[in-house]
Order: sequence, then C-alpha cells, then structure tokens
Amino acid sequence: VRCQHYPPLRALQASAALRRASDEHKKEPLTSSSQQHFDSPPAGHQPEQEPQGPRPSYTGQGGQESEDYESEEQLQHRILTAALEFVPEHGWTAEAIAEGAKTLGLSVAAAGMFHSDGSELILHFMSECNTKLSELLEKEQKLVQLGEAEKKPIDEFLRHAVEARLRMLIPYIEKWPQALSVLLLPRNIPSSLNLLTSMIDDIWHYAGDQSTDFNWYTRRAVLTGIYNTTELVMMQDSSPDFEDTWRFLENRVADAMAMSNTASQVQSTGEAVVQGLMGAAVTVSN
Amino acid sequence: RDLAAGPEMQFGFQTVTEEERREKIYQVFESVAKKYDVMNDSMTLGIHRVWKDILMHKMNPSPGTLLLDVAGGTGDIAFRFINYVSSVRERQLQRKLKHHQNLSWQEIFESYQKDKFNSLGDSQVVVCDINREMLKVGKQKAQHLGYSEGLSWVLGNAEELPFDNDKFDVYTIAFGIRNVTRIDLALQEAYRVLKPGGRFLCLEFSHVSNPLLSRLYDLYSFQVIPVLGEVIAGDWKSYQYLVESIRQFPPQEELKAMIEDAGFFKVDYENLSFGIVAIHSGFKL
Repeated sequence: VRCQHYPPLRALQASAALRRASDEHKKEPLTSSSQQHFDSPPAGHQPEQEPQGPRPSYTGQGGQESEDYESEEQLQHRILTAALEFVPEHGWTAEAIAEGAKTLGLSVAAAGMFHSDGSELILHFMSECNTKLSELLEKEQKLVQLGEAEKKPIDEFLRHAVEARLRMLIPYIEKWPQALSVLLLPRNIPSSLNLLTSMIDDIWHYAGDQSTDFNWYTRRAVLTGIYNTTELVMMQDSSPDFEDTWRFLENRVADAMAMSNTASQVQSTGEAVVQGLMGAAVTVSN
Repeated sequence: RDLAAGPEMQFGFQTVTEEERREKIYQVFESVAKKYDVMNDSMTLGIHRVWKDILMHKMNPSPGTLLLDVAGGTGDIAFRFINYVSSVRERQLQRKLKHHQNLSWQEIFESYQKDKFNSLGDSQVVVCDINREMLKVGKQKAQHLGYSEGLSWVLGNAEELPFDNDKFDVYTIAFGIRNVTRIDLALQEAYRVLKPGGRFLCLEFSHVSNPLLSRLYDLYSFQVIPVLGEVIAGDWKSYQYLVESIRQFPPQEELKAMIEDAGFFKVDYENLSFGIVAIHSGFKL
C-alpha cells in the first residue's frame, strides 16, 4: 500500500530535523572543513522541496535538487560533533551521543543510529583531529613558502607535528584509554588503522622529502611507532602539561634520527664486509 | 492481498470488508485476552520472551525516554522497558556517587535522597491498545507484578492515535501491526507522534526464506498451533486466524519499503530465528 500523495503538512514534517539542521547551519559561521556547506536559500524558500532520502516522491518547485538539505550522513556528523562535549562526563558511549542529539533538538532515541559502544564517535573524533592537524600543517607550510617562517629541521618538525596531534587528546585524556580499547575491536581495526596511516602519511607529506636513507615503508613504520608509544606514555603521564611525554617524544625522534645514520653506516660496513669475504673466497679457491 | 484496494480485504485467508475485518480482529483478541500470555509461551516455546528482550536491547533506552507502545495489550514491552531504564538509572547513580568522593557523608546522603524518588530518571511508557480486554489484563498484570511508576494505559486505535504531534522518543509495536487494518495509516501516525530524531521499532512475524525451515515452520504453524489454541484457550478459530495472518503479512523488504514511504530514514531490519520474526527500525529525521 503506497500513499499517492502527502498532505503538505506531512511534507514539512517529513524533513523537520534535516531541514531544521539546514536552518541552524545558516546561522553558524563556516568552521570545520568536514561540513559540507550549501548555498543558503532565500528566506521565502519553500517546504515542498524534495527531501533527501530513498523515497521516489515529487520534485520540488522548479525541480530543484535536494542539495539544500543535508544528508543523513551530515546529520550524523553533526550529532557526533555535538556529542564530543559530553564525552568527559559520560565517556565514549551511547549516552554521550544521546546528550549530543538532545542539544541539536533531536530525541535521545537518535543515538540508536549508532553502535552502543561508541565506535563511530571515537572514529569521528580521530578523523576530525586528523583534519585539524592537516590544516595546521598546511598553514605552517604556507608561512614557510611566503618566507615568513623558518623551515624546521626534520626532527623538530616531526616532534612538533606529533605533539600538536597528541595535544588534541588532552580534553578527553581521562576517557581515551577506553577509546583505545574500543578501537582494538576487530570490527574497528580497519577504520582505525586507516585513520592512523593517513595521519602519518600526512605528516610525512608536510615534512617534505628529506635526505635520509629511510625508504617509504620504514618512514611510515618508524613514525607510527613513535606516535603510538608516545600516546601510551601520555595516558600514564601526570606531569604538568605532560612535559614528561614531550621529553619522551624528543628522545624517540632523536633515536630514530640516529638509527637512520646507523643504518646507513651499517649498510656501508656491511657492503665492505661482503666485499672482503668475496675477496677471501676468491683467494681461498685459488 | 492489496489491503487498500476497495473494501475487500483479508482476515487470515478469508476475504472480508474493512469494517468486518476490524470487528473480527477485535473479537479475536477479546476472546484470547485472558490466555494471551500462556498461549504465547506455549506456541513459541517461550522464545517470544527472548525476542522481546532483543527488541529492548536494540532500543537501548536511556533514562528520560518517553516510549509509546502501541498494541501493547498485556504490557510485555512496557514492563521490560521499565526494568531496563531502572537498571541503567541505577548504574548512572552509582557512577555519580563514585565521583562524590570528597564530599561529606551528609552531602552524599542528601544527593542520594534527591535521586531516590527518580528511580526511572523521568522515563515513561504509554501503553496504547484498541482492545479493552487486553488493556484490562495488562493493568491487572502490572498491579500483580508491582509496576506503577511511569506507566500509563490508553485506549486508542493505531490508525488514529489520540496523541499530539512530536511527543514520543520511541514508538514500538510488537506483534500488533499485523492486526492493523490500514498499515499505511498506522505508519503515518507513528511518524506523526514521534519527535524529530525519534525511533520507530516494529517486532513482527515475518517470512522465512530457507525452504527447509519454511516447510517445518508451516507444518508446526498449521498443525500444532490451532490445536494448542483449542486445548489451552478453548479457541481453535482465533489461532487459525493468527497463523493465517502471519502468512498474509508483507515480507521484510516490503514492510521496509512501506516504512520508508511513511517518511522514515535509515530503515533497516534484523531477522530473528531465521526470519520467523523480524525487527524493523526507522528514524524520523
């Protein structure tokens, strides 16, 4: 049984939350790049628009496409962003998501759209942090290009990038161990690994091609190791402003630099040893 | 099987008019009301309790949720809801107390007192049913089991709910939508009374796709259930109707499409017991 038409009142309500979301958007300043912004329609714009969704219904006036309406995904993003505020109190849970939904004027039942273990909330947070890091590094790169800042040596750059990214955890540090364990669930590992590697790639991208003997995989692996271990140290750190963590970070980066030198030394020594052995073998065989 | 095409419709495998159908269904439930729970247990071998528990877990209501349970008759969903939110609420209170470690005993006692009278955290459930007898049985059960707080009983028709728009956080209809004569109207009403962001949940018998299981299920349904109905409830015909109405009900995908038509988003379903039962979920976004 399909209804042939919707009375206008229903059409209004049909996208009540989604449209309301678009109204709120008009008031908010353009901030995070992860939100998709659409042109704000003129005030007299009307409700009989086609709502975004799986229904084959009528087209809006003037046959306009539903770009003015946010999709379900965008609404979910907004709910998750709003939920972050409640994480320090409720942890990375469906409760935090429910509170977030409430602040957007939605029912607490909207939290049912997400998993009850808070996975999506954590992944969303990580992805937002990565975006912020990229923006920060991009800005700094521009400054260097404009000559307004000095280009950092590689070890300082890595330290700066990792510290900046880890500092984003500070407001949520108490509940972050919980998040780490959720990220280890088999279901979440592909996504969390993906986010981690793209962040590491980003950092290397902005670090530029420095002349080291690392090959690409080693670079990734080394920085991932540095990042993960520093993160774990940070969980246990109670020093003022996490100064112990940053010192640990400094040491690890220094180790990595030294290792690269050692590696190239080892390589040349190894080559020399091999040549020596070959020579000895030839001598012996004669 | 097109329910809206003209006045002819299905009552089980019989063809009747819309009005006749409503009346017949009313009589069915009037007659089975007293033995409804017993019959549920014997027909499904107690598994219906598990299905309803799964529904509650899927809902995962937080304290403060306002639930409308339509066709909720004898209150199974409502009581589970109350149990669930009070245990969540208890855990919440315990967590709060843990944080109050630097307060004096006096302060802790006072904070405990305030919350003591709010053991449900302002959660409420309204049980709505079209059938007086079912509601009566439900109210008696509630009294017997000691449920009083946060519970209301309303006589009403799923096709025309006596509630305002945008009122409820969650709308459930467990094993009831099959008996609604105009399902599209019920879905529209569900949409209307839900708040933005609210959730629609439907627990209902559905279609088993596995051919072997389907044969066994049919065998059990048509040979065993009406007999149980006669022996336990003294009513063969009502249980014959039950079994037939399950066969007449739209399968999972079709019901999903109907729910989407009513305006719900993120509509999905989960099969339980190989498709004997399915939970459909949608959000008013």
